[in-house]
Amino acid sequence: MYQSNIPIPAADPMPLPGPLWLLKTLLLVLFFLHVLFMNCTLAGGLTAVFNAIRGRSERHPLSRKLSADIARALPVFVAFTVTLGVAALLFVQVLYGNLLYTSSILIGVYWFSVILLVILGYYGYYYFNAHSGDKATAGSIVVLSLSVLCFLTIGFIFTNNMSLMWSPEKWLAMYRARPSGAHLNLSDISVVPRYLHTIVGAFGVFAAALAHYGTVRFKTDREYGSWLVRRSSIVFAGTTILQFLIGMWFLMSLPRHVALIFFRDGVGVTVFGVALLSTLAATILLLVGGTAKEPSPMIHAGFGMVLITVALMVVMRDMVRTAYLQPYFQLSRLQVSPQTGIIIVFLLTFAGGLATLVWMLRKVAQGRSQHAAASAK
Amino acid sequence: MNYPVWQLGFPGGLLIAIVAVTHVFISHFAVGGGAFLVLTERRAYAKHDDALLAYVRRHSKFFALLTLVYGAISGVGIWFTIGLVAPEATSSLIHTFMWAWAIEWVFFFVEITSAIIYASQWDRLDRSTHMAIGWIYFVAAWMSLFVINGIVTYQLTPGRWLVTHNVWDGLFNPTYWPSLFLRTSMSVLLAGVFGLLTAMRERDDVRQRVNRWAGQWMVLGAILLPVLAWWYYSRFPDFSRALLNGSLPAAQHPIRMGILSAALILLLGITCAIWKPRAMRKPVVAVLVFLAFSLMASGEYLREFVRKPWVINSYIYANGLRTTDLARYQQAGFTHELKFTSTDDLSSIEYGHDLFVAQCGSCHTVDGYRSIRKRVRGWDANLAKEMLAHIHLLRGTMPQFAGNEQDRAALGNYLASLNPPINYSSVTDRGAAGKQSFDNRCGHCHSIDGNLRPLKAAFSGGGPDQVQAILPALDAMSPNMPPFTGTPEEAQLLSEYIASVANAPAAAKGGK
Repeated sequence: MYQSNIPIPAADPMPLPGPLWLLKTLLLVLFFLHVLFMNCTLAGGLTAVFNAIRGRSERHPLSRKLSADIARALPVFVAFTVTLGVAALLFVQVLYGNLLYTSSILIGVYWFSVILLVILGYYGYYYFNAHSGDKATAGSIVVLSLSVLCFLTIGFIFTNNMSLMWSPEKWLAMYRARPSGAHLNLSDISVVPRYLHTIVGAFGVFAAALAHYGTVRFKTDREYGSWLVRRSSIVFAGTTILQFLIGMWFLMSLPRHVALIFFRDGVGVTVFGVALLSTLAATILLLVGGTAKEPSPMIHAGFGMVLITVALMVVMRDMVRTAYLQPYFQLSRLQVSPQTGIIIVFLLTFAGGLATLVWMLRKVAQGRSQHAAASAK
Repeated sequence: MNYPVWQLGFPGGLLIAIVAVTHVFISHFAVGGGAFLVLTERRAYAKHDDALLAYVRRHSKFFALLTLVYGAISGVGIWFTIGLVAPEATSSLIHTFMWAWAIEWVFFFVEITSAIIYASQWDRLDRSTHMAIGWIYFVAAWMSLFVINGIVTYQLTPGRWLVTHNVWDGLFNPTYWPSLFLRTSMSVLLAGVFGLLTAMRERDDVRQRVNRWAGQWMVLGAILLPVLAWWYYSRFPDFSRALLNGSLPAAQHPIRMGILSAALILLLGITCAIWKPRAMRKPVVAVLVFLAFSLMASGEYLREFVRKPWVINSYIYANGLRTTDLARYQQAGFTHELKFTSTDDLSSIEYGHDLFVAQCGSCHTVDGYRSIRKRVRGWDANLAKEMLAHIHLLRGTMPQFAGNEQDRAALGNYLASLNPPINYSSVTDRGAAGKQSFDNRCGHCHSIDGNLRPLKAAFSGGGPDQVQAILPALDAMSPNMPPFTGTPEEAQLLSEYIASVANAPAAAKGGK
């Protein structure tokens, strides 16, 4: 039964325009992809700051090189973080709109500021892109740092909103206290560990991606490639240990009935267990592969395990949301009336779009290799 | 009201307008500018013009920085903003057009990727592949407009969707095609304007070539605009045409601004870009950018304006209330729907304020924009309560009040509390006091000898007694007229005023 004494906006009177499984799948898949790029945007920015500062010394040319490499990719990371995030937002709105709009309004001032922060952070990344490597200056590193700060703040606002979205029991009191939207959800003890879990996790994912990138660079630049792989593997191991502690903190901060789904519910136990195992496997693979004399295929396997872990974390996150909302809101109660014709058009457009993307990326790859070959001559 | 209201201190619609107008300015450039890039590149190859090629390379960087960052993020910003300001309508749009948005997202993704590749891979892709990527960008950008145009036009002319609730009926609605071509012509115009903007940094001979070329784009857009605007206007619903044709004077400023901007752009385009490209100096370019923005802003303002009082015509009012729910609210009261209140005391002034925020706050503030305090000056609680029953008739751009008598009383009390009561028992200037009473009570719907439902004919030749005799029976004369709720002293002053103006010579105009 829903708790009727808590004001929760009714779901839209119009039915869901597609089958629940399809909407949920699209939400989770797109959110997974969004998270990967978001991790690169956040942790990539911070890694670039660290290496740009370190690279100002003549003794650390590889750090300078790495910061320049990351600088080139940062605007692209932001572009895809946003583009994939928008798609996830679309499906969140259609499924959980009545909850999301309400929590967004309650933190409206901060929620609206996300847009300004993205624009500032994005332009900052472009600026650093043009002033990195040998062109890096103290000023460009400051700009980069401010951009990173923008994205860290955005992450914090998102954590607040997403956790408030599933806490309807707080809404009315918050609205009565300040209807101007100048709230955060700091009274929720899970917000800080959840945020840290996200940020530290981003470092882990980005470190694994860099290790993977290192194996590619190793083919043309052995010193740089092996340096990248070794350092990134160690960073990954370090963040994993930290992440384990923060993860425990986060788990303990959740309400008992929510946390218990990972210990009593069959699906919850399985997903949690496999996620722990895949994290452990990723750590071993990356450490062993990364500390070997030459980067080994274990790095690729380790990176693959990291991706699996992220995918499982996305599923766990969804399970937490469902458990939180159980007393207030259940998707299965929503009416469904699939718009079959336009769903088919969407799928065809999606296939066409994907084919176009593949074609363009292949052309870019071909162009790069031809350019590299011509430069070598 | 399903949702809490984000109380910013000013109507959220203004925030939407700021985000939306700046976004559409850039996003229309993003469409036309895509074609401009590729065709300029092709032109440079065809004419073996390396300087022009160098220009278009630089222009593509500017294009990417502006459209990928501000253009794309402000587009997301519109979603954030409408979700905060108009959650009910946003939810409805999302449920109706979710798959259309999903299709648009595919084009958006292709658009972003191809723009990044086009701007960054000049040296690594061969000419034909690079141009093909440019064309992919343009097609994706225009297709994005193709889809979004359906959702935007649906809000004014949902057409058959109101009956069928079929997504295709909603997308390809009566104003879809004229709006699509109108927006396309605007995007061509903006491609030219921004082409001129970046050409300012080129050396003199290159700048003149670019000026002439970009000027042709701008002029082509400006020539097409009026024809397409007229086609678009001809498909407007009657109430929208009435608003534009003068029933709301506020619409006249953006109409004039839009026409003037388009005419000046055409004039400057022909003279300073095509005919005498050397004359396209920095100040002229700055003026053109301003005019283009003013043209876009005027158009968007009017598009929003002519939809009043709807956010989705005949379906959802600007305050987020559905027409289908009105009868229920008026019968059972709004209390059950107003979930986020500042108080539990339904007879309090605070609850009246909650009702104001929920039902009026999307367009009015207390003291700032469209101040309600000014508009209800002289209203006592009874008059306010009665006025609320007829609020949709006052100006024709307001939704019906959604609530029962108890709700009207609560909101009426709140509105009456905004101004000190007027004491009509001890006035020194009887004429001014009578006029004030007329303005407060009658002037919202009537004039005495003006154009708005004039009363002169009814009272000409009669005295104050004749007016005073009918005051107690106003609501009996017409169900749309509120009863007179003032004191006997006010009735006397009002009657004297109406009679004096109705019997005055024609030159002495009175009333509104």
